[in-house]
Amino acid sequence: MKPSRSTALALVLPWLLTLAVFWLFPLVISFVMGFTDFRLLVKDYQWVGLANYRALFSDQDFIKALKNTFIFVLGTIPVTTVLSLSMALLVSRRFKGRGVFRAAYFLPSITSMVVIALIFTNLYQRGGYVVLLAKLVGLTPPENGLLYDSSTALFSIMAMDVWMSVGYYMLIFLAGLKSIPEELYEAAEIHGAGAVRRLFSITLPLLKPVALFILVINSIKSFQVFVEIFVMTKGKFDTSTAVYFVYETGLTTGFKSGYASAAAYVLFVIIALFSAMWFLLLRRRQALW
Amino acid sequence: MKTTTFLVSTVLVFLGLNVSAATTIHWWQFWTDPNIKPTISAVVAEFEKANPDIEVKLTDLTWANGHEKIVISFASGTGPDVVELGSDWIAQFAANGHLVDISDEIAPDSGEFQGWGMATYQDKVYAKPWILGTRVLFANRDLLTRAGYNSDWVPIKTFELQMAARKINALGENVYGWGSNTAEKHRLYKKYLPFFWSYGAQIFTDDSKYCILSSEKAINALRLYKELHDSCGYVSNQRGIEDAFLDGKIGFIISGDWLLKRIELENRQINLVSTLIPGLNFPGKSFLGGEFLAVNEASRHKEAAMKLIDFITSPENQILFCKANRSANPSSIAAQSDPYFTSNDHLQTFIKQIRSANHPPVDPDWVYMEDAIERAVEDALFGSGLVAEPLRQARLKIDELKKK
Repeated sequence: MKPSRSTALALVLPWLLTLAVFWLFPLVISFVMGFTDFRLLVKDYQWVGLANYRALFSDQDFIKALKNTFIFVLGTIPVTTVLSLSMALLVSRRFKGRGVFRAAYFLPSITSMVVIALIFTNLYQRGGYVVLLAKLVGLTPPENGLLYDSSTALFSIMAMDVWMSVGYYMLIFLAGLKSIPEELYEAAEIHGAGAVRRLFSITLPLLKPVALFILVINSIKSFQVFVEIFVMTKGKFDTSTAVYFVYETGLTTGFKSGYASAAAYVLFVIIALFSAMWFLLLRRRQALW
Repeated sequence: MKTTTFLVSTVLVFLGLNVSAATTIHWWQFWTDPNIKPTISAVVAEFEKANPDIEVKLTDLTWANGHEKIVISFASGTGPDVVELGSDWIAQFAANGHLVDISDEIAPDSGEFQGWGMATYQDKVYAKPWILGTRVLFANRDLLTRAGYNSDWVPIKTFELQMAARKINALGENVYGWGSNTAEKHRLYKKYLPFFWSYGAQIFTDDSKYCILSSEKAINALRLYKELHDSCGYVSNQRGIEDAFLDGKIGFIISGDWLLKRIELENRQINLVSTLIPGLNFPGKSFLGGEFLAVNEASRHKEAAMKLIDFITSPENQILFCKANRSANPSSIAAQSDPYFTSNDHLQTFIKQIRSANHPPVDPDWVYMEDAIERAVEDALFGSGLVAEPLRQARLKIDELKKK
């Protein structure tokens, strides 16, 4: 029996309500709030128009946070994508212990970010294993540890993020590789195509939708980087990012919710533009690689 | 008949409920440590026993996000009747009309407690001091001896501290003279301000109109702090510094009474010296903060809430709490004369230091001012290396805030 329209509506209603209350409502309210000088503890507030947005672009802290966010995004996405694809290609082959490697690479993705951040904080500190290793190979890491120096702090967090993310994206690439018909490779082989040719003419072009998906979700995730910064440096040593700025402005220093909302919407527009860019880039080009 | 019995029983049940639940007040507090929480619960139980018409509902907050929770609850009108506030937060809540002015309530006993200054905003008192907090200078006696100092020597003047730290630093590769905080929010400036005040510097002019953060005295104090940091600093976060100090790697650190608690609970073996902060004149100034109890302006049970605060902050209960928490600084002067405090040299150091400690200005914009000072210190230690310019920048920022 086909369910009636009202039954269908009743079934989706709880989800719709949740969406409206916890997603749509805050989204609209925070957008409106971005045009006010609303502060959490202050009872009165005024409509300030675009003043928050204008102030943001002359706020050195916000500009620095945006710059750090872009460094984070542009630094981690290519490395994560290439590494996860390489690992997926490696573990897609049949060899003994393949399952162990797949599980090991994926393990960081199912571990709490806070736990990983705390472990890496120890590894990066004075006398930590990463610092000792760097000394062993002849490098001169900052004496106080990698997180307490502006020249290394952000890059150290980025390295941790890559380490944590590759396993997850590797798994998505693996699923993409599985969906490529085997007969294409067989036909290419019969026509004399070598491994490199097969990779560039079959594997990579057919992985384009998967790559697009990974680039979009990784961009969104990287633009929203927060937990790592919160746990490891609290935005010190040039590591403050856009979301950390929003948190600090809206929820710790001064509770300027209106200003923080405006900053959040600037980030929202940047993420939307970045995602659109990936779509356009990958849709227009015949071959990705 | 059955219906009548049912109705009568129902009415009786409701009457009974009404009698048992006279007044319920909510208290939000931060002490979740298993060593302390039972004492808090026991004190509350005692209060309920003494006031059978009042029931207290306790809610635990964490230092990680307690402040945010309090702010959001007050902003949404769902705040508790009684709230524990850090000294730096009081002005922010008071200025926006969220706290009850208790000036009249506390007038009779105001002389019995320390710390009122931190709870006074525009000549009105908004919270009652509970547990105060200051920092003193800790030293490792073994390292001092190895560096050639007598067994009872402690630095009195800042230059003596500098000399001793350098001598200890020269003892070996893994030994440092001074524990220096990294750029940790809400911590670094608390380490600089004792030197700042000890050099006679002030954040504002006496009439509070102008910021004088970049005075010659302030610059000299930052120079000294930077010199300690650069020449013999073990740089880490507070926990890291304390770990290294307890491992015998650092000669001097500035820390609070929690260090004594750690030494006791972790059974650490260290030849510990605690002394007052050195200054140009002895004793130098330290940083004063503390935990306060306040009543929510929106509370419907203000009288009961104030009763609870008076009970919690009574000398006897402060002693109980300090013993459980190994705290050194009850706000009650009567509590400070308890043998628990008078028989312990380290606790006595804290009690003496409180008498020579300053608190930051009570200003709703202090969070921004604090941030400006902290950035100046950060910049001097980890950034440009300059001392005067970051302080000047901070002064300009604070002046701008004042103008607003």
